[in-house]
Amino acid sequence: MFLPVFVFAIIFFYMPMLGVRYAFTNYNGIKDPTFVGLENFQKMFSMPGFWSAFKNTLQISVTGLITKTGFAVIVSIFLNEIVNIHFKKAVQTIIYLPHFLSWVVTASLFSLLLAPTGQGLVNSFLVNLGIVDSGSMIYFLGSSKWWRGTYYIINLWKETGWQTVIFMATLAGMNTELYEAASIDGAGRWGKMRYITFPALANTILTVFILNLAKVMNLFESAFVLQNDAVLDVANVLETYIYYQTFNSGAIPNYGYTTAVGLFKSLVGCVLVLTCNQWSKKVREGRGIV
Amino acid sequence: MRRRKKKISVFSVVNGIIFIALCLIIIIPMWKVLVDSFDLKTAYGMKLWPEQFGLAGYKLVFSNPTLYRPLLISVITTVSGTLIALTLSTLGAYVLIQWDMPGRTFFANMLLFTMIFSGGMIPTYLVLKSLHLTNTLWVVILFPALNVYNLVLMRNFFEGIPASLFESATLDGCSPMQTFLRIVLPMSKAALASIGLMFAVTYWNDYTHYKLYITNSDLYNFQMKLRGMIQGSDLPTMSGGITENTIKNAAIIVVIVPFMILYPFLQKYFVKGVNIGAVKE
Repeated sequence: MFLPVFVFAIIFFYMPMLGVRYAFTNYNGIKDPTFVGLENFQKMFSMPGFWSAFKNTLQISVTGLITKTGFAVIVSIFLNEIVNIHFKKAVQTIIYLPHFLSWVVTASLFSLLLAPTGQGLVNSFLVNLGIVDSGSMIYFLGSSKWWRGTYYIINLWKETGWQTVIFMATLAGMNTELYEAASIDGAGRWGKMRYITFPALANTILTVFILNLAKVMNLFESAFVLQNDAVLDVANVLETYIYYQTFNSGAIPNYGYTTAVGLFKSLVGCVLVLTCNQWSKKVREGRGIV
Repeated sequence: MRRRKKKISVFSVVNGIIFIALCLIIIIPMWKVLVDSFDLKTAYGMKLWPEQFGLAGYKLVFSNPTLYRPLLISVITTVSGTLIALTLSTLGAYVLIQWDMPGRTFFANMLLFTMIFSGGMIPTYLVLKSLHLTNTLWVVILFPALNVYNLVLMRNFFEGIPASLFESATLDGCSPMQTFLRIVLPMSKAALASIGLMFAVTYWNDYTHYKLYITNSDLYNFQMKLRGMIQGSDLPTMSGGITENTIKNAAIIVVIVPFMILYPFLQKYFVKGVNIGAVKE
């Protein structure tokens, strides 16, 4: 019975793992690979493009993770205070929605809304308010100055709501006696939110953080569909760097070099996963993430 | 007492207003695209209602083969992919709960290792190319079908089935396969719905696998087509006064509408899926 799964795992996961041997060769897909030892890694560490992509990956992923988790916690705590159950359900339904849009759709939506022309909603709005001049509209997705901030906001728009699901589940399972006891002790609304609701979420916050930290190196699609040539200095991440070097460099690709970058990325990712796994076991009574 | 009550209601009102604002922030981008897709006057700006209502954008999407063909491919890959993915997830998860089966531990470790280390983008591409899977729909149907994370979710669900049911099935002479088909699957309808929906969304939204492995534009799904249109390189020939932006907006709506219609009814299954994972990992 496990044969189908076994075959899939071999083809899609284990055969590519054997392919990491190309990292030690020069290979262009036409001639046979020639062994070059660690040359590709030396080249990689001397490339400014690689270092910039590495730094961007960590910065964008980690900042994205912190803002997303932080916002979701705040939203959950206040959502928990809504008494009217129908209103609460309606809010939840709406804020979960963007999670299910593809990144392509999200990028399409925002590239139309943020267009630096009279057709873009946001720039029209800013012009109407007199904040920007109609001759100098802001290229939110097309200038290095604005790209990162715009990326984080789009990311928040798309994912904050869905991130609250797990926090709301934790709060739903909470013992309500705590709130009653606090009321008797004279705690007000803020006191209860600060000293009961927030601590109740602490373990879940840490769990979510660890689970996501393990995946920070995998950043690809969201950055890829929102970036363009003008912002690559702040937007190029390792996976997109590998993609452009292989498929978009204009020259015959050296699969050996890009495999080496990928292997480096996988190894860093591997260390992160194992570290997070240990960490998770410590804070979650023995439960790891793999 | 009276003062206290009033204070609470002020908070509730402010809180309510903040959440209404939050919902508007979520909805307005989508609303704006919906409005613009119906608007034949393209000076969009800040309008939140169509000025000159028309369906020309949609007519073009459903009459132009370069647009409805990708839509058809999206439907085909989503349906077939989800079925294959559910087959693999349930089979794999069922093997993982056979604690006394020889080789179970090896099988489990083999799957879990893929969560720690991967060959990476380029070796995967080279393997799929050498197997002649690139530029076929097989790659976009089969590759996402094995998702170890979802398989583990399914296993967590199976573990909740009472052990006594398995025992009585064995006593009644059921083979493992019969137990799987007659007991495990019928008892797991909720998990099949949750995980099946997650797969369906993944397939419908897939862009990365197409971008990496498919260069033949006859095999593009609607996400690829939409991306090409937004980048301005792949617009269909327009006639009858339809403008670029009307079609872009209409195309975005076409790709999200099937989901939007089903979403209110299916939301509970999605939430349940997350919570199976949250309770036991």
